[in-house]
Amino acid sequence: MNHLLKVEGLAKSFAGSKAVDGIHFTIGEGRCMALLGPNGAGKTTTIRMITGLLEPTSGSISFRYQEPGMDRRKLIGYLPQIPAFYGWMSGKEFLVYAGRLCGMSARAAEASSKELLERVGIADAGKRRIGGYSGGMKQRLGLAQALIHKPKLLVLDEPVSALDPIGRREVMALLSELKRETTVLFSTHVLHDAEELCDDVLIMREGRIAIHGAIDEIRASNRQPVLLLETEGDERSQGWVEEWMRHQPAFVQTAEVTGSGLRLVVNDVGAARRMLLAQLAEADVRVTKLEFGHTSLEDLFIKAVAR
Amino acid sequence: MTQWFVLYCREWLELVRSYKLIWVPIVFILLGASQPITTYFLPEILASAGNLPEGTTFEFPVPTAVEVLAQTLGQFGTLGVLVVALSSMGAISGERVSGTASMILVKPVSYGAFVTSKWAAMLTLSTISFAMGYGAAWYYTMALFEAVGWREVGGSLLLFALWLGFVGTLTILFSSLLRSAAAAAFSALAVSVLLSLSASMLPNAFAWSPGNLSKLAASFVMNHTAEGLWLVVLVTFCAMAAALTASAAVLRKRPSLDAA
Repeated sequence: MNHLLKVEGLAKSFAGSKAVDGIHFTIGEGRCMALLGPNGAGKTTTIRMITGLLEPTSGSISFRYQEPGMDRRKLIGYLPQIPAFYGWMSGKEFLVYAGRLCGMSARAAEASSKELLERVGIADAGKRRIGGYSGGMKQRLGLAQALIHKPKLLVLDEPVSALDPIGRREVMALLSELKRETTVLFSTHVLHDAEELCDDVLIMREGRIAIHGAIDEIRASNRQPVLLLETEGDERSQGWVEEWMRHQPAFVQTAEVTGSGLRLVVNDVGAARRMLLAQLAEADVRVTKLEFGHTSLEDLFIKAVAR
Repeated sequence: MTQWFVLYCREWLELVRSYKLIWVPIVFILLGASQPITTYFLPEILASAGNLPEGTTFEFPVPTAVEVLAQTLGQFGTLGVLVVALSSMGAISGERVSGTASMILVKPVSYGAFVTSKWAAMLTLSTISFAMGYGAAWYYTMALFEAVGWREVGGSLLLFALWLGFVGTLTILFSSLLRSAAAAAFSALAVSVLLSLSASMLPNAFAWSPGNLSKLAASFVMNHTAEGLWLVVLVTFCAMAAALTASAAVLRKRPSLDAA
């Protein structure tokens, strides 16, 4: 796989405490990578170092297209967590300004601004002052300004965290369209967003990488069958559950009582199914729900960050 | 160079849209015009204001035209300097606090161009405003007192504009060093007061100091020459260049607040 960005031994300490502690990773060209982790894991610090807003304490960041002495910022489009604009400018003016700062001619910046405003869906508001924009509109304008110079890498810091459900939905749709055209790195603490959009995930915990790889591979290699049982919660069923917990069969890896039922992680789903169904029928347990599924990425995520 | 011009144009647009390009010149014009007018009407003002007994007479030495202009420069030296510091106090800290600095500085923008475009805008604003204010003072002095040659006026204008520009440069430097805009304005004013005081208390030891500029401007309009002018001008230019370099270096090190 061709890598676009290569990060080696990247570290940053603030006043003695290590925010990012020597991480290594690469982003493949054309991939979409999610940077996941709980708050304070070092996601924003990592992103700020990649964009050049923060000087790393040690380590290196290199791009494939970066010739010696070239300004890395040319290759990056960045949308901060809370994008800030000059309230007295109109949306279009800001885009043209951003484009011209990236070295575009006045005409090219003008044409590209118009197209991008259309694309992010705020063409009508382009002539209005940014001071009057809503949070969702600012986020869209933020995306547009990050894309104006056709960056090789689009870096987004928690792009949907501050939005309401509708704005979130719309920005996600926009992102899934964008990821077809360029390489995307975005941070989030919402696992669901990462699952929906990304090819790769990088889970950080306390400044280190906990898990890194293609999302499908991670899911496949960490996938375990899960059994979910719920009962009506009457005395007999409760008694059966308690009794069952005392004599767990060998295929059970972890078992926990959830309200009126059970949640089991097992290694032999066939054996578990046969045995459980027979036992339930025999004991005449009042089952309301029985589900055979798999551990989700969320289980893995929680396991990784809570370790 | 194109990029610098784009940045500078944005600064201009902000000056226009924030009405700075209107209120700063108005303050300067009011300051400049009021000095010759009040000086001229002072006897009448006193006579009509005070509850003085009948027959009180005033003996005022009528100031010469150049003295009036020198007094006007004194006014600009306090209030004018204050206005310049206030109008550019948030130049860099404001962008940092609001987060626009991190939006702009992730683009391939030179830190030096970012700072110097703000500096050039400040210089344009302060010079235009001061020229208009000093022009108003000159006009009323000519109308109410007597004519003053354009050479004296022009020379002193340039010297004093340099002083205002120097204070503005200090404000921009402190604005890149400090988080608070008010603290930046205060620091710049404090330094400029210290420079002026040290220059007038110890004229020999501080003959090179930019703090001499306002004094030199006044002496230029009165005597048509000013001693030791070139050294002071040279030192001021070097100090401004150093301040801008330092400011750009600070910005490169700390482009946004949370990256401290």
